[in-house]
Amino acid sequence: MLLQWLWWMMMAFSVAYACLTGQAAAVLPAALGGAADAVALTLRLCAGYLLFCGLIEILNALKATERLNALLRPALRRLMPGIESEECMQAVTLNLTANLLGLGNAATPSGIRAMALMDQERKRRPAALYAMYMLLILNATGLQLLPTTVLTLRVAAGSAMPNAVLWPTLACNVASSVVGVRLGLACMRRREAKRG
Amino acid sequence: MDNELVFPLLLLALLGAAAWKRLPAYDLFVCGAKQGLGVAVQVLPNLAGMLCALSLMEASGLTAALCGLAAPALGLLGLPPEVTPLLLLRPMSGSASLGLVESLMERFGPDSQVGLIACTLMGAGETIFYTVCVYMSATEERRTGYAVPCALLGALAGAWLAGRLFS
Repeated sequence: MLLQWLWWMMMAFSVAYACLTGQAAAVLPAALGGAADAVALTLRLCAGYLLFCGLIEILNALKATERLNALLRPALRRLMPGIESEECMQAVTLNLTANLLGLGNAATPSGIRAMALMDQERKRRPAALYAMYMLLILNATGLQLLPTTVLTLRVAAGSAMPNAVLWPTLACNVASSVVGVRLGLACMRRREAKRG
Repeated sequence: MDNELVFPLLLLALLGAAAWKRLPAYDLFVCGAKQGLGVAVQVLPNLAGMLCALSLMEASGLTAALCGLAAPALGLLGLPPEVTPLLLLRPMSGSASLGLVESLMERFGPDSQVGLIACTLMGAGETIFYTVCVYMSATEERRTGYAVPCALLGALAGAWLAGRLFS
């Protein structure tokens, strides 16, 4: 129930804090502003979804994902042991590849598709839930090869060495993904041991 | 690295392969785009809920207050105190943390220790709560189990390393 609970806390505490600090008038504009942000963001994301979902469909028809999948299969087997559906594995592969290439807009639709497929698979195999968590961890610690936005920002700020953060960023990124995945695997084993 | 070439080349390869195999590329694209539209519509209500809450936290000053409270604890990671608010903002809001990185670079310079660490944290991090929220919107499941704590601890490990690399 993390989302329920987190959302409630964020909303209730913010509103209470605003009232206590005498900013009650700012509550409604801020709430509406948030919803407006969501609409603007969706419009922006929507263009990416349409484009990349369209291209991914062509990619699937070419059976390119199947081949890519075969490459990643051994690693994914270990990270997501609960998944058997071929379709689902392909969505996961696409999601991770798009992330690595820095095509964030392409990663989201395939990631969402993978989550939906895992959710279906969970009805037959409860262990698919662990794969859902693993996909969340992989995406939330976002493995990415090139931090394009940050590089652009550094150039704009007049940096003499904009690329100085490339290797450190990659190292920290790998560190956070490795720690996240390790912890996730440990949690998965503990839960499975509990269920017996 | 010629980053701008990645997408055009991938696209050309895709179109070339489709022509080679004589696939109905346009029909396939339209069919896929239809699914993409569905994804966008499905995600919007979830985003509205999350962004509403985040916007309220910003406007009420709760975000700033929380950053102030947590700064001493996060200082244990060995990061400069100016950067610690970024640790809290990064998982919650991409645009807010980007704004903070920009202002830090303005104040300290992009090639200062603070500037370098801020950029590294920005590039290596991810808006964890947003990602989890969007991905969960596709499922009937509402519990996120251990996924968020694991991702957050991972992010902390990355931040610790950033402090070591630039100390």
